[in-house]
Formats: sequence, C-alpha cells, structure tokens
Amino acid sequence: MTTPSAEINALEDLTEGRSLAFDFVVNAADMADFSRLSGDYNPLHTDAEFARGRGFSGPVVYGALLVANVSRLIGMHFPGQQALWSGLRMTFRDPLMVDEPARLEAVISHQSVATSSIKIKITIRAGDKLIASGSAESMVLTA
Amino acid sequence: MDDAAIYAKLTTIFQDTFDDDDLVPHGEMTASHVEEWDSLAQIRLVVAIEMEFDMKFAVTELGTLQTVGDMVALIRNQLP
Repeated sequence: MTTPSAEINALEDLTEGRSLAFDFVVNAADMADFSRLSGDYNPLHTDAEFARGRGFSGPVVYGALLVANVSRLIGMHFPGQQALWSGLRMTFRDPLMVDEPARLEAVISHQSVATSSIKIKITIRAGDKLIASGSAESMVLTA
Repeated sequence: MDDAAIYAKLTTIFQDTFDDDDLVPHGEMTASHVEEWDSLAQIRLVVAIEMEFDMKFAVTELGTLQTVGDMVALIRNQLP
C-alpha cells in the first residue's frame, strides 16, 4: 500500500474563503485501535449494551477520532506538507456513532502574512446532524 | 476608536488566547509577564487581533513590537 502524499501549499495558495470537504467513517476496528492506543476503554465507546443503556444507539465514537480527521485536514490539505499545527478549538455537539458516515467541511477564515499562518473554520456533520464545530490554526512553514 | 476601546477588545483577546479570565493587558506588558506567551501563542494572538480589528500586519511591523502599548499604537495607526 502506498502512503498518500500531502499537498504542498504555500501561504499565498491558502486564500481566505478556500474550502475543502471530505467524507469519513469510523468503524469498529478504528475504535479498537484507538482504545489500545489511548488506554481509554470507557464503556460508552467500547460496550454497545452500556451505551444503549445511556440512551445511545450504540458505542459513541471517540471525540479524539473526530480530531484525528482535523489532523488529516491540516497535515494533508490545509496547509498540507508545510503545516505546523498550532491550535485547535472544537466543541462536540452531538455524538457520532460507529459506522455512521460523516463529512468534514473546512473553510480558510483568515490568512496572516505577518505570522505565516492560517485559521480554518471546521464543521463535522453526519447528514443534517451537526457533530462538532470549531477552528484550527496552523503555521505554513517555508523550506 | 480610542485606546480604551482598543484595550477593551484586547482584554477579551488576551483572556481567550491565554485561557485566563483575570488577565488584563496594559501598555508596559511584554511576553515575559505571561508564562504561556510563547512563539505559538504569539501567532494565535496576532491572528486574533487581525481578525478582531479587520486588519493585516506586515512582518516588519511585528518585528518592531516590544510591548502591548506598541501593539496598541500599531492598531491605532491602521484603523480607518
């Protein structure tokens, strides 16, 4: 399997209003991998019966796996290869369920020449349901 | 907008950037007064200021800043 290549975007390419969206699904294997990686075995994420007992249709996707897709956005697209991620604010608004299709939408809201950085507005939705929203900041490094 | 109004907006920005509701910037304040004020925080601060005041700074302008008072003067000079 080949490793996907990160985009190479200079600061001047990352103009305000430029947008991007991609789809993703978190499956049971992703959840198990993250449980092991993080050490977070909270049953809300690992035990379907426990989650159903608390009003959910099944295990709730880890918020950190939503953030993992922000990492994909920063590291692969905005800015891509030139990224140095410097900040994130994210509010989790509604749970995402395992195997539920989701879409991350990103718009560059500010380009700062003085600091060689960008700010990106981010929303994650599952259909019409708003799962998470926030913003991220990244420097755009030069070689 | 007078300096008091600029400082009022900066106070909100500083408190938000440094997650400190008690932080009140003043003219003589420098990065050495705020433990969390490192290079990445500086970037977040500048981006927040540019967005709040709807202006963009040049690299050369930032390089001359020593204190919050210098930043206020820079903002004042760029206001319409």
